[in-house]
Amino acid sequence: MMNLPALVQSLRFSLLRIESRLLQLTGLETQAAPCLAVNGPGLLPQIDQESQQDEEQGPGLMDSILWMAAPKKRRTIEVNRTRRRSESKLIKVQNNIEPCPECGHLKQKHVLCGFCYAKVSRETALIRQQMREMEGGPLRAPAVETVVLYEGETPSEQDREKRIVERPRKRPAWFSY
Amino acid sequence: MLTFFAGVAFIRNIAGSLHSRLPTLGGASQQLSCLHTSISLNSKHWEKNNHKVYPPQLQDEPRRPAEVYHSRRQIKYSKDKMWYLAKMIRGMSIDEAIAQLEFNDKKGAKIMKEVLLEAQEMAVKNHNVEYKSNLYVAESFSGKGKYLKRIRYHGRGMFGIMDKVYCHYFVKLVEGVPPKPEQSTSFDQAKEYVQSLKNRTIIHSL
Repeated sequence: MMNLPALVQSLRFSLLRIESRLLQLTGLETQAAPCLAVNGPGLLPQIDQESQQDEEQGPGLMDSILWMAAPKKRRTIEVNRTRRRSESKLIKVQNNIEPCPECGHLKQKHVLCGFCYAKVSRETALIRQQMREMEGGPLRAPAVETVVLYEGETPSEQDREKRIVERPRKRPAWFSY
Repeated sequence: MLTFFAGVAFIRNIAGSLHSRLPTLGGASQQLSCLHTSISLNSKHWEKNNHKVYPPQLQDEPRRPAEVYHSRRQIKYSKDKMWYLAKMIRGMSIDEAIAQLEFNDKKGAKIMKEVLLEAQEMAVKNHNVEYKSNLYVAESFSGKGKYLKRIRYHGRGMFGIMDKVYCHYFVKLVEGVPPKPEQSTSFDQAKEYVQSLKNRTIIHSL
């Protein structure tokens, strides 16, 4: 076993050496020792070039393809399902459907009944066909009002100067005179 | 070659007649023939469920409600898009379901409405359902059909394989009033959660 004073001495020397090395690295020491003096710029030129290169590459990196938003991990099926089946993505039940009082088919409250509309448009198509035959060509509509008369109907006082379109069938219930 | 095909058709006929004879043997043999009674989704033999015959009910048994299984295969629509419609009508009465589908703008809604009407007609004609409105949608879901593959051309000579998607749609109608979904209050749900926490057991403890 080494004697204690010698141990303490060696420790002290090593600590002093570490301190001097640290001071040398940081450049804070003020010891005057013989060394070579070189005439040159204050900062080393290498550091300047590195900083310039960094500045140039900065905006370049932003434009290059490598900086693009990309998913980091695959979205699991559980995560996908919760997103696809969330309340906002499900179809809402409509509460504006009611039966049509005329025909009994279903209709939306703010829309005409589809069945009744089809029935009316079918009859209107036949009336229009008759009018086309009466006119005999395009742009030959008379400059008077038109009245549609069904079987067994005679034109009344008001219909004296109107064009009469005859339909050879009974008057439908929904077409009031 | 012709004899080979005739032989194959003959064997297929026998198999078909066997299949049709199996359900008529009775309930006991039914239990033996199908080892897995509830396969997940049951989509491969959805229509076969209609041929299931139960033994006659006893006097004091409650009346078993009629069930109708119907499906449509290879619908030109996406199974994911069809799922939303199927989810909407789950648990509705058949009139409500048809009304909702009639005024829905999706392509699958028209097809689903046809399927429901067909199933309703089947129920009244073949399955001894008295009132056609007394049905509700017990199960309704969509499945993937057989896809066709096509080439989708990209730039730079690259290509991708495009899938032309098809789907199946399955529906089960049951006679009776639709069951009301249980609505629990928030307090009840909280109580249930606390109870489930209390029911936990610690393994390897004394």
